[in-house]
Order: sequence, then structure tokens, then C-alpha cells
Amino acid sequence: MNTVEHTPANTARRDLLKALGAFGITAGLPMSPARAANSGHKRILVVVEMSGANDGLNTLVPYTDDAYYRLRPRIGLRADKVRKIDDRYGFNPGMLGFERLYKEGKMAIVHGCGYPQQSLSHFQSMAYWHTGVPNAGERYGWLGRVADAIDPQLTPNFLVNIDERQSLAVQSEHHVPVVFDDPERFARKGLRQSRQLLDTPAVAEGSNMSRAYLDKVAASAREASQLVRAAWDGYKTPVDYGIRPLDLNKVAAMINAGLPSQLFYVSFRHNAFDTHVQQNEQHGRLLSYASDAISGFMKDMERIGRADEVTVLVFSEFGRRVAENTSLGTDHGTANHMYVIGKPVKGGHYGDAPLLTDLDDGGNLKFTTDFRRVYASVIEGWLEHESKVLLGGDFKPFPLFG
Amino acid sequence: MKILSRFALIALISSTSLMTNAAPITWRDSLEPISASEWSRDRAAHLLERAGFGGTPSEVALLAAMSPSQAVRSLVYYRASQNPLPPFEDSGAFDPGLDPFAPSRPAATDLAKASGEALGVKAKPAGNRKLQQVADRYLYWKRVTKLETERVAYWWANRMLLTQRPLEEKMALFWHGHFATGDEKVQDYRKMLQQNELLRAKATGSFRDLLISVSQDPAMLASLDAGVNVKGAPNENFAREIMELFTMGVGNYSEKDIQEAARAFTGWNYKGLGYVMNPQQHDDGLKTVLGDSGNFDGVQVIDLILAKEVTSEYIANKLYRYFVREDVTPAMQIKLGKLLRDTQFEIAPFLETLFESRDFYSDASVGTRIKPPVELTVSTYRKLGLTQVPGIPDFNVLTESMGQKLLNPPNVAGWASGKSWITPGLLLVRGNFVYDTVFPPVNFIAPDRVAEDRFGIVPVADKVAMGMDVATATKPDGKEVTSMSMQNDRDEDFNTRLASYHAWRKAIEKVKAIPRMPARIDLSQMVRDAGCMTTQQAVDHLLMRFLSVPVDAETRRKIGALLEDDLGTADLTYADSYMEDALRNALHVILSLPAYQLG
Repeated sequence: MNTVEHTPANTARRDLLKALGAFGITAGLPMSPARAANSGHKRILVVVEMSGANDGLNTLVPYTDDAYYRLRPRIGLRADKVRKIDDRYGFNPGMLGFERLYKEGKMAIVHGCGYPQQSLSHFQSMAYWHTGVPNAGERYGWLGRVADAIDPQLTPNFLVNIDERQSLAVQSEHHVPVVFDDPERFARKGLRQSRQLLDTPAVAEGSNMSRAYLDKVAASAREASQLVRAAWDGYKTPVDYGIRPLDLNKVAAMINAGLPSQLFYVSFRHNAFDTHVQQNEQHGRLLSYASDAISGFMKDMERIGRADEVTVLVFSEFGRRVAENTSLGTDHGTANHMYVIGKPVKGGHYGDAPLLTDLDDGGNLKFTTDFRRVYASVIEGWLEHESKVLLGGDFKPFPLFG
Repeated sequence: MKILSRFALIALISSTSLMTNAAPITWRDSLEPISASEWSRDRAAHLLERAGFGGTPSEVALLAAMSPSQAVRSLVYYRASQNPLPPFEDSGAFDPGLDPFAPSRPAATDLAKASGEALGVKAKPAGNRKLQQVADRYLYWKRVTKLETERVAYWWANRMLLTQRPLEEKMALFWHGHFATGDEKVQDYRKMLQQNELLRAKATGSFRDLLISVSQDPAMLASLDAGVNVKGAPNENFAREIMELFTMGVGNYSEKDIQEAARAFTGWNYKGLGYVMNPQQHDDGLKTVLGDSGNFDGVQVIDLILAKEVTSEYIANKLYRYFVREDVTPAMQIKLGKLLRDTQFEIAPFLETLFESRDFYSDASVGTRIKPPVELTVSTYRKLGLTQVPGIPDFNVLTESMGQKLLNPPNVAGWASGKSWITPGLLLVRGNFVYDTVFPPVNFIAPDRVAEDRFGIVPVADKVAMGMDVATATKPDGKEVTSMSMQNDRDEDFNTRLASYHAWRKAIEKVKAIPRMPARIDLSQMVRDAGCMTTQQAVDHLLMRFLSVPVDAETRRKIGALLEDDLGTADLTYADSYMEDALRNALHVILSLPAYQLG
């Protein structure tokens, strides 16, 4: 019924089609997607959430700033220990992957990201980042809104969230995000003799919109679960993603399989970065996980020839207090870096770094960049869509893409 | 073929009647009550589904035998019904030394280091790890309140299952989502239980009364950081949530209103399980809120908020969307706001009008609501005729995996409703819930007894038991570490990994175990009682019993054929001695239909 183009980019697709033969399904695959001008596929955005509030100052250390060492006499990372990327900044010692990505010109570091009336609650602040609407109760996530805007035809499996539960960030009015955790368990239980009935429920007619929606999701669930499991089963990589791949290997499997997914969302689990106490060893370990996983993912994209089509956005709900606390840790803070990573990214520093000598009443950095400018940058510069309506305001994009 | 029995005929007629019960289009948006002649079994079932958690055919029949007005009143004015349910059985793991609890582990150990005591435990005067017992105790309470909150959730789920006043529990659940408060933030199951009882006690009375009580409820005050809202340094969190989420909705007040209202709430705090007002922390100066000026206190601000029409519309609208349907026209929204004002913000008469209205029984409403996970689970148990919430699988794990964990809503906005309950992954989880109910797992591990892997407790316990020194026993083995409590803590005053192990041991010694019985299901008896003689009649009976919307003839036939194949006969009297597993399999298929998510 469908023809497959025999180009290198379609090899993975063919493999997937073969793998799917066993399930007898191919309907969810993109046969002729509208393609980006210079590549065979649409552009992909992967968002990585460092939940728990990552300590930005010990991630990217301002190793020439005396104030940093004055405020962090015990947990400040010594200049000779950090991975210097220029004459001001050096990455945490565990972040070899980030150092390389920066030096290869594939990483934009955006300084001073935050928003007015910063909430110091993980909860609330994360909700603001998820919705892209600080200080309000927006229903839909920013990626959910982006999906609705750039994919009005509602491509199945367009928006993917790999986590134990669905993030508010992908909550969408029209899209059905594919949400799963373990591909092996993204499966319906049922005895053999019932499979056909379970997997192909009749679609109801009539005016019951909820029912129509459920039928739609049921079809999508069946298809997505089989596609995801097939993609996962058919994926082998020699690339090392480190100790915790952050689900980015699952993202790679789906990209590799040629699924039409353009927006991915993954996250550190369980508020991992909440390093109030004895943070350095713990924090260094978490950062090495992030750095290894993200750089491994980029390498894997190179390997399968998709690096030109993928951009990664890294954020945390806020940074941490500039001064260390009495427990060799840090408390909740404000402004933080965001990272935009990928071959298409114009590497370098963007935005103004907040001064460590000009803190607010709570001893926190004063934000210099509304984080929605970075959202606007990827929406406009990468996904090539107008951002003003989506973000409910005019947020000037940075020229992050070539 | 066998001749159909009289009972089976009735079962068949009831199930097919679902398809022939269309309401006139003019019923939509009409608050006129339906008449007695328009009352039917299906409409009674719809009422019980929405005003409660659904029920067995006999419970439905009871309502169907009344007039619609009587049926609605029996549910709404539920205090007339006897409801002998046991109170929560506290494990007794709390003691006064734990109150006030430390805001963080460092806060506890720092205090003990400075003052020689914290959380009712003294620091050791000499020796190694002087503060170990303090660290143990901090984590002990963290584990206790989590485990005990899960027991409160079980207690509540059992209430939902067994209550004679289903609307009471349903409204408590509604308000729980509205005034969303979670133990993860509050860190005190006692406050969560107390709030739950408050939401139940005032569930259908005056909204003003409820709002004031909730605003002075310790769980809510703790949840919204009321303790830091003091004169001269007002914290806007509390005032913001009251206006944004509890009464008016975003866009109906200014930032200035919030700042001014926050001043009116200064000094509101709690001590233990009681509300306290600290006059010296209260700002009694002049405030301007929502266009009015005065030396307002919190209650006066609440009255200013309630005086705005938008508040009645916001609350009425939210109730309507929960009980009737998601889409509300602007005209309907105004009409509902007026209705709530006309009842002086009394919830019961407002609901009475809704439940009797033609709109409630219109095609736009019936069978269009996606059941939230807790309701899906409880209504499944009710329709199965269970008398206890199963311990296998675990209720809290189940509902959380579907996206709704009682006493731990995702954030202050509560649970999103409608379509957002359903994702592809979650739809599969909902089907798997049924599978695990009818075919319970044989490798079940009780999460309230066996420590989660991620806390790294078991290896520490094993090593300590073999006489290993603490430093070596608690050294992380290179595996991932995600929880703060697991850090390899070098502070010589205490060891947090050791504390984590001690805390779990002490917590499970105190906190009572959740009974772990799988569901006691007897589908054979169920279909026998319904007079089913053939496999097809059994399937039709199960469809009638469990589903709120009709299923096409082809699907019915296929499930009938599945059951017949499984049994090797269509004759249930022949298969009577061995039909249970096959019936369960058929039920799994039926409850996995996408349509089963609707109520």
C-alpha cells in the first residue's frame, strides 16, 4: 500500500517496518512528511528538565569571580579543578561532555534566566516553566501549545514525554502526548485469546465527543505502544550514555526508528537536584550523568546521521542561593543558566550574567533574561513558528541558530 | 438454543434500553426538572454514577423505583441516611516531641547541634555520631507521615466503597481537588486527616462556611506557607491561591488586590492541629481590596470576594464541570452563577437543581464524563460488589499510576480533569488495572513494608547486620542516587543513609500494615443471580452492569463468542462449575473497552 523511498535516511524506517511486520501495523508511520529544506526530516526538539533546582553556579563556575569564592568558601569549586571553557567560566569537573560540546561550538549558554516575582517553591516554579506562564494557572504546557500550533493536523506520536507521569509541559488542548516510562512495560496486559478484541476495539459512532476522544487515544495507544516497543527492540547503539541515560537513549531509539515525533520531553526524576546538604559530591555526580547522557545522545545522533535535525534544551526550575548554607549545600535561589545544544546551534554565551555582588534581599541573583526569550528562541529559530501568541507576549528571541 | 429465563430477558431488555433512551435536544442547558414519566433505570444509573460512584443493579433499581425528585433528594440530603462507618484507626506513631516538626533535616540536626536537643531527642554527650538519633527521628516522621497518609487514603477509599451517602464522599473528593493540599508539602498525616474530615463535614453546606474553615485549616495554612505571612513582610502565596484557585479565577483581580489581601491574612497561622491568630503579626492597617477600603481582616476579605458575581460563577461553573459536563456556554455560566447566589452559596440545593435538571439527563451529559482514576477504581469495586478495597494490587499505587493519588494532588491547582486523564500510556494502565484486579499478580510486594529500592535501605540493613562498620556499610555502591536522604553524608555527627535505614525500621514497626487481600470476586454467582443461561446473556449482563454507554452489536457478539470459546459451550448451566476464570477474562475485555472510561 505504501512506498518507501530507498534513501539512507530510510534504512532505519525499513528496519522498523520489518520489525513491525510482526504486529501487522504500519499506519502510524510518516510516509511523506513535509521535510525541512536541507534534511530528510522535520526538526526535533528535546527538552531536558533538571528537576529539583540545579545549582547553576557550581555547574558553570565563574572561576575568576572573587565574590563566588567569598560566598562559597567551602563548596566553591577551585579554579584549577574546573573544566575551563574560556577566561571566565569552567564546567564542573564531571562535565567533560559539556566542555566538549561547548568547545565544538554546539552549545549556547543563556545567562541569568528567570522571571519576575520568582517563586522559590519547586512546585510552583516548575509549573511556571512548564506552562511558560509565570504567576498564573495556565492549563496547557508550553510544549503542548507548541505542538497544537505547529502540527494542526495532529500527527500521531508527535509529542512524546518519557516519564513516570505526564508533565504539565506537554499538556495539550488537541494533541495526545505519547507518555510512557519503560518501553518494555508500555504494553497492554491480556490473555492471548482476547488480544484481537483488546487491540482493535470498535470505533463508536455518534455525537459523544468524549467517546470519540477515547477511541482515538485507544488507537494511538495501541499503535504508539507497539511502535515504541518495536523502536526500542530494534535499537542498538555503541554509544555510551553514561550511568543514567536520562531516557535520551529511548528518544534516540524513536528518532532512529523514523517515528514522526518532533517534540520530546524527559526529566531527572524525584527532584534530584535539590542539593540542600553536602552537595558537592552528589551534585557532581548528577551533573556527570546529565553531561554524559546529553553528549552521548548528540554523538548517537551523529552516528545515525540525524545531528542536523536535533536540538536539546536544558533547564531547571530555578537556581540556588549564591551563598552556601551551613550544611555544605545550597538553598533555593533564582536565576540560572539555560543550555541549548545541538549541531544546528550557534554556540557561545547569550544574555548577561547576573552580578554576584548585586543580589536581592534574599541573597539571590537578579535575573537578566526572561526564560520565555529562550522558549521564543527555539520556537522561532528552530521550530520556525511565531512565538508571540504561544507565549502570550513579545519575548525577543536570541539568534541561537545559524 | 435454550429458552431464555424471565430474569435473563429482563437483563437483556435493560441492556438494550441504553440504546433507545435518547433525550430531546431541547433538554440541553435546561435547568427545568425532568418529570416522573421521564424517569428510567438508565437515568437512575446515570444519577448514581455522577452523584456517587455508581452501584450494583439492585442499588440502581432502588433509585429507579422512586420519583426523580425523591431519588435526587435521597442522595443530596444524605444526612437522613444511616452510615455506620469506622473512624480512621490511627497507628499512634506520633508523639508530642515531633511537633513542631523541623522544616528540613539540616534544620533538625543544626538545632540539636546548637541546643543539644531536637524533635524531642537529645544529642549524645560523647562518642561517635552524636546526632544520629536526631537524624533518625527526622526521617522516621517523614516515613511515618507518608505511610500513615497512605493508610488514610485506604480508609477514605473504603468509605467511598461502602458509604450509604455516596455524594458525601464524592463532594469531599471534589473539594479535595479544589482546595488541593498534599502531604508531601504538609508532612503531617494528622493535618491531612483533619482536613479530609472538614471537607466531608461541610461538603454540601454553605460555601462561605467551608471557605473560611479551609482558610483556617492547619493543613491548608501549612501548605500555603501561611506561617511566613506576617505584618511588614506579607507573603502573597495564600492570598493568591484564595483568589486565583479557590474563588474567582485568574484575571478577575489585580496584583495589587493580592498584595492588599495578603496583608489582611497576616498573622493567620496554626499550632499543632489548631488554628491560631497572632495579633502582633497581623497588619490591621487600611487596605483596599477589590475596590473596597477598610481595616480588613481575612474573613472580611473573603466576604468581599464572595460578594463578587464572578465568584459565584467560578464555583458554580466548577461544580457543573465536575458533575455534569466539561463544556459550559457563557449563558449557562451566568445562569449557574445566579443559581448559586439564589441558594445563598448553599451547595446542597444547588446540586439538587442540577441533578434534577433536564440538562443533566441530556445526551450532551449522559455517558460523556471521563472518570477520574479514583472514581474509576472505586466504581469498579462497587459494581463488582466488593466489601473491602483490595490490598492487591495496592490502591494508592494503582491510582497514582493512573495520575491521581489521594491526599497528594500534583500541585495547588489540583487535578486537571476530562481528557487530561487519558494518555496512551494511561489508557493502557487503566486496562491493566482491571487485569490485575481479576487476575491479581502473584509477585506482589507490599510497598508499606518493603523499602523502596531508591532509598538504598536494604543493602545498608544487610551490611550492618553482618557487622560492617557504618562508614563502609553506607558507602554508595556506585548506583544512582536521587534522593537527598541518600547522600553519602560525611558529617561525623550522623549518617543519613544509616538514618534512612533506622527510620524505615522504626516506621514500619509503628505504622499498621495495610491488609493485603486481593479482590474477592465471584462473577459466577453474579451471572447466576442475574439468571443468565447463556454466554451471550452473561456478557450482556456484564455490559449492562458496568458500562454507561451502549456497545455495538458486533462487539457484544464477539465478546460472547470469546466467552463461549473459553468455556467450550454457550450453556452456562453446563459450565457452571468452571466458568469463573473465563468470566473474568470476558470482564477484563469489557472493562478494557475505551467506553468503560465513561460515566
